[in-house]
Amino acid sequence: MKITRKEFLQTAAVVAGAIALPDKNFAASSAAQQGLDEGFPASERKGPKRGVSIYSYANEYGVSATLEDCFAELSDLATPGTKMGLEVLANSHIDGYPNPTNAWVDNWHKMLEKYDILPVEYGHWVDSKLYAESPEGSLSTKESVEMLATDIKLASRLGFTRGRTKVGMLDMGGTPVKNWREIIKAALPVAEKHNFRMLTEFHLPTPLKGPVMDEYMDFITKENCNPWFALNIDFSVFQTKMPPGFGGGASMGSRAFGDMKMPASQPEDMIPLMPYIHCCHAKFSDITDDCEETTIPYAAVLKVLVDHGYNGYMMSEYEGMDKLQGGAWSAVRKQHVMMKRILGEA
Amino acid sequence: MEAVQQRGFRNVYKGGQCTGFQIAYRSRYYRGIWLSLSKGFRVLVDGEQFPREAITVTIAGTTYTQDEMTKIGHVQWQKNEPAILTIAKPGGLKRGVHKVTVNWSHRVSYVGTIPGDPEQTPPAEVGGRGATGFAGAFGGGNCTRDLVLVR
Repeated sequence: MKITRKEFLQTAAVVAGAIALPDKNFAASSAAQQGLDEGFPASERKGPKRGVSIYSYANEYGVSATLEDCFAELSDLATPGTKMGLEVLANSHIDGYPNPTNAWVDNWHKMLEKYDILPVEYGHWVDSKLYAESPEGSLSTKESVEMLATDIKLASRLGFTRGRTKVGMLDMGGTPVKNWREIIKAALPVAEKHNFRMLTEFHLPTPLKGPVMDEYMDFITKENCNPWFALNIDFSVFQTKMPPGFGGGASMGSRAFGDMKMPASQPEDMIPLMPYIHCCHAKFSDITDDCEETTIPYAAVLKVLVDHGYNGYMMSEYEGMDKLQGGAWSAVRKQHVMMKRILGEA
Repeated sequence: MEAVQQRGFRNVYKGGQCTGFQIAYRSRYYRGIWLSLSKGFRVLVDGEQFPREAITVTIAGTTYTQDEMTKIGHVQWQKNEPAILTIAKPGGLKRGVHKVTVNWSHRVSYVGTIPGDPEQTPPAEVGGRGATGFAGAFGGGNCTRDLVLVR
């Protein structure tokens, strides 16, 4: 029980081996960039906006904090008069998932109003290994699409306009199951009908330039399906080093440390992708009392987002070493001090 | 939070006979799972290992054998709900303190597959990682606690 998810993923990257990085760019369509409706209320201001994935509070949620406690905390992070963005994980935070009661949903909407919170991103999965360890052939395309449709409809009922949509993976490098195109293609009409953007997440160790991105962008351009299937960028792809104290003792992480390719990507790698990015995970692992993140170049990342017209949300995702010891509340608060400073928010 | 819960540790009786005991177990994975994603629970009490077949699982009021769970892909084990493990042991356990280990693992669909990773959770083990390849990183593995049986 000593290995964190992050340590595991980082070790996994080594297991997966080096990933070839063809230097390929995708031309940004300025029309798409300018004309894209992000699906937010018309009153929403331009530029990158702050939000929180309450996955950050995974150690507290259901133990020492209720869902309402998490909403109250988000509200406390907002600049008065602006809405804090919310990300939930479908089968973490929805009681009775995938069939919450009407009373639960009614209370959900009351809490959104009470705490002035905007539901932004809904984290959900196609559990390709549902019946066997091999993700191949365990779950049919039809069953996968049904799983997606269930989530899209529920997300829409809760007011979400996009999802971090995760299909099954064949390896730790982010290679999706072979039938992912059929799955996503069949779900596209459902997504569009429900104003729900299915966003595939790029996360360490998968780089923004490489075969996985090529595969997704090939699909997105051929199907012309932006924004209904597009990108979520997790800032872990810009991580330059492991946080202090990472992989202490004889854990897997310490062995992986030297071999990890970091950073997987540069902030500028987002520029050609900008029309396709409809949410970001503001991943962070180590933040000082001066409110500086030590492993991810936040100022450079946010500058690219501001300079290139990003109008979406950045959802805090804390995965620091003290997460399991109650460190998440203060860490997220410090991160929002940092992001306000960089964005020049009053 | 410890996965193995103090509350709910008790003997169970049928027709006046003690048929076994129960342990409440809360998942430390950050999300709920479909029942079929569980690779199973294994239990070790004071050095006695209980086979998979001796353990049933009650979730949301319905009791399943572990083999039944492998086929049910549409029912969620909710994130914050304890699973009640019922372990067959005629005569049950004595009142007092017992060293209880539960090993649990599950499949994670988004990280690929480790070759040779077993389909079922291996026996519980004090101090062992015990988990299959992924479970230790995703809330599974062995959890050992001293539990106090009152009834």
